Amino acid sequence: MGIYKHLIFAITLFMLSDLAESRPVSWAGGSTIMYRTNSMMSSYLFHYSPTYKYSIGAEYVNDKYFNNHFINLRSTYLLDRHNTKISQRNIYLTGGISTKTNQDFSYGIHGDWETRRIFSSFSVINKHTKEKNYTENEFQLGLAPYLGEYNDIHTWVMLKAKKNTINNDWEIYPFIKLFQGDYLIEVGSKNSHWDIHFIIRY
Amino acid sequence: MYKILVMFMVFTVSSVSAMEKSGGHGSHNHESHNHSASESANGSDIAFPEKMFSEFISDLANVQIVIVDVNGMVCDFCARGIEKVLYTDDAVTKVRVSLELGKVLIAYVSSKKVDFEEIKNIFLSNGQNATGYIIKKI
Repeated sequence: MGIYKHLIFAITLFMLSDLAESRPVSWAGGSTIMYRTNSMMSSYLFHYSPTYKYSIGAEYVNDKYFNNHFINLRSTYLLDRHNTKISQRNIYLTGGISTKTNQDFSYGIHGDWETRRIFSSFSVINKHTKEKNYTENEFQLGLAPYLGEYNDIHTWVMLKAKKNTINNDWEIYPFIKLFQGDYLIEVGSKNSHWDIHFIIRY
Repeated sequence: MYKILVMFMVFTVSSVSAMEKSGGHGSHNHESHNHSASESANGSDIAFPEKMFSEFISDLANVQIVIVDVNGMVCDFCARGIEKVLYTDDAVTKVRVSLELGKVLIAYVSSKKVDFEEIKNIFLSNGQNATGYIIKKI
């Protein structure tokens, strides 16, 4: 029974998605505000984590590609985590559904592995819209040029590779991730388009 | 661009290999703190830099310090929740996180009965694993 409950919960959340993001689930009782903008969309997201296992939230999306505005209900479920003394590995299921029409929804899987020096992640997100169904794939690799201690400014030099099945072309570009305390910002640029991701956690 | 990606991946893999060979902490030399009157469990590595410990207790009295070994505490964001949750306990007077050592120092009032199961649950609620501890009364 336990495993069925677990499976049903995961599938439910799987149906509720969007791009991979840094730390998609917070600590128990933690809340997160995010802003993201790139060539395809910009969005504002708030999510709350009742436990460290999942988060639920709402996202206002300005879809630049399809010239559309809507609010997504979103959720992410931590399917598996493996901690060691020097690393953490996570597998997440993520999903979202538009409040505008139930024909717009997305679901996918996101994984990451990191040490204090190295970060890597992948995501595969399927997006269903009234206009078109497509898949977004993303990989990230990052290296910390120095090892910061707690409360220091932490810096990551990152490389992102993205492809969606609309353009069917890989975009690879560098970006920088900085975080300190409850604040994180990622900034990158590709073909004069800014890719910015800002997070406040509390 | 693909060449850059391949070079980056090679560098990343070689860095992982080097880090795992060195035990994950890089090269550092810690002086060990002498916890002669301490209680420990689960094979906790009691070595802790004397300077860091002294700084932590410099403004404390009549407390017990619990040094917790933690798995999965690899970034500032990971540890942030631990600190926030610990401070919700009135018996906690001070917290110090060491990402380098993978340890958290918690100062509890001396009257607190420290329960490692409770501590493990606090860390688990943040998604990390407490694997061992020692207690030092000052």
